[in-house]
Amino acid sequence: MSHGAYAGRVQPVDWPQSAWDGHLLLAYVSEQDRRSGVAAWVRRGLELGAKILYVERPDVPLDRSLTAVLSERKVDSVPAMGVGQLQVVDSVREAVDPAWQASVVDEALVAGYPTVRLSGEASTVWTVTSPLEHLQVERAADTLCRTRPVSMMCQYAAREASSTLQEACAVHSAGLRESLLHTVPTPDGVAVAGEVDSSNEGILRSALAGACADLLEGLGAFVVDLSRLRFMDVSGARALLTATADHRRRGGVVRLLAPQPAVDRLLRLLDLDRVDGFILEGA
Amino acid sequence: MDMPNPIVGGGYSHDLLLHDSDEDLVEGTVAFVEQGLASGGQVLVHSSEERVTMLRQALGTHPRLDYGLDGDLYLSPTSTLFAYERKLAESPDAAELWVTGTVPFGADHTQHPSWSRYESLVNEVLGPFAFHALCTYDTRTLPASTLEAARLTHPCISTGGERVDSPDYLDPADFLSDPRAATPRQPEWEPAATLTLHTVEDLQHARHLVSGIGASSSAVAREAIDGFVLALSEVLLNGLQHGRPPVELTAWVEAAKLTCLVTDAGSGFSDRLSGYRYPDKDGPKGLWVARQACEELIIGNTTTRGCSVLIATA
Repeated sequence: MSHGAYAGRVQPVDWPQSAWDGHLLLAYVSEQDRRSGVAAWVRRGLELGAKILYVERPDVPLDRSLTAVLSERKVDSVPAMGVGQLQVVDSVREAVDPAWQASVVDEALVAGYPTVRLSGEASTVWTVTSPLEHLQVERAADTLCRTRPVSMMCQYAAREASSTLQEACAVHSAGLRESLLHTVPTPDGVAVAGEVDSSNEGILRSALAGACADLLEGLGAFVVDLSRLRFMDVSGARALLTATADHRRRGGVVRLLAPQPAVDRLLRLLDLDRVDGFILEGA
Repeated sequence: MDMPNPIVGGGYSHDLLLHDSDEDLVEGTVAFVEQGLASGGQVLVHSSEERVTMLRQALGTHPRLDYGLDGDLYLSPTSTLFAYERKLAESPDAAELWVTGTVPFGADHTQHPSWSRYESLVNEVLGPFAFHALCTYDTRTLPASTLEAARLTHPCISTGGERVDSPDYLDPADFLSDPRAATPRQPEWEPAATLTLHTVEDLQHARHLVSGIGASSSAVAREAIDGFVLALSEVLLNGLQHGRPPVELTAWVEAAKLTCLVTDAGSGFSDRLSGYRYPDKDGPKGLWVARQACEELIIGNTTTRGCSVLIATA
């Protein structure tokens, strides 16, 4: 992409640092997005003084390796690697074993680290597990992250089947992050932050459908908190419709909460406030 | 009253009444309103406060007769056009809407062409509906160029009693290409920014760029910038998906106005009026939304690249 005179003014999406904690799904459209996500996640870990364990196969292509990503993104990881704070784990089979995870967490906490962070690519895990086992691994990881001072970021390509992403979304209690979009599960639905356009509407659809499918049939309202969504285009509004269609068809209600003025205007232009099952609630 | 060339009930009509006295205005308006009420339709008389007071004295009250002020109803050509479209598209039954009045041309003659283009686009946008309009133009106060444009944008000329086809009428697409429509062109001065887009992942950069320069270098209100950025994003997406990448974006900034030109590398686009008609439930809506999210959206073809779309906040 070529930039004009004002290229320097392009505003990066500015997430709070804590948005990199917990059991998180990193959905990436491009390898560049993945690398940015990994670099920011490691940087956050170093700031916290965390023990960082990064799972990658011994045969990972050199340019995709953690070392390459961190050096490209100018994250100074040499001191942390030197003292064992940042460690690459190359036994994937071991890394997905809950007993191993529990023991490394215990070890790190005993050694004085305030918190432990683990990350790896989902496709790496699929080389040693079946999809069903993988989901069980993710569930166990979610419990670990909710009960111990542990954060885990699982990297998924956005091009994975929407059903895979949908199921994965439902087991990451810290939500899903993409370069523009962040979704976080709430007790009765999901909160959406950032921007949705046709580059990532499919990801929003998976996140919403995953959260929506979790609701008991026909019971209660599915609440979509839009208060931190800065931008939505027509394709994003369509994602709201399609992702919740099953829920609404079986009599469920979807409450769209506190959209910002521009998003509110779009939803009304497209008559979402008058679609059966939708309730648009102001800020 | 029997008329030689009567308005056909259930259809569409958009008549021009040129008057040089208040008596002619009142007489024509009364004839139109009587017809509307007789048809069983809803009738709206809109104008300035002073005119509405005068017309109310002549017309009195009726359950299906409403009076409206331009300050409430005619805020901008785009919002007015799409408000009528929505009202008619969503009206539950085929109730006719009869509207008479004068669009608020105002004292600033440079603003008149945007309302003249509105008059032309009414034919495109409201043509499918049971809609009747009698637009009253006061020849004592309006400039000759505005009166001329009125003859080009109204299919019929009426005295209230008699109607004849306007010999000068132009279809909206032809009118918009006519110099007398004064359709906005791209600014001739140096742009504030340019950007080349190859994929949908570049859309965010375009939005951040334009929203950033709008906030830092213009006094355009936040709400208008946000709408403009939505329109821009949809237009760029159209270029990427229906034209051919790379899509070029050029942005100009003025104190009270943002303008962007979007061109793609495709084979061009033939329908300049795309995105005006009320969309099908599951049909594409991007351009229709974009047209409502900014004030001007002009589709054309470039001589060197494919389709060009010029959008502006005012």
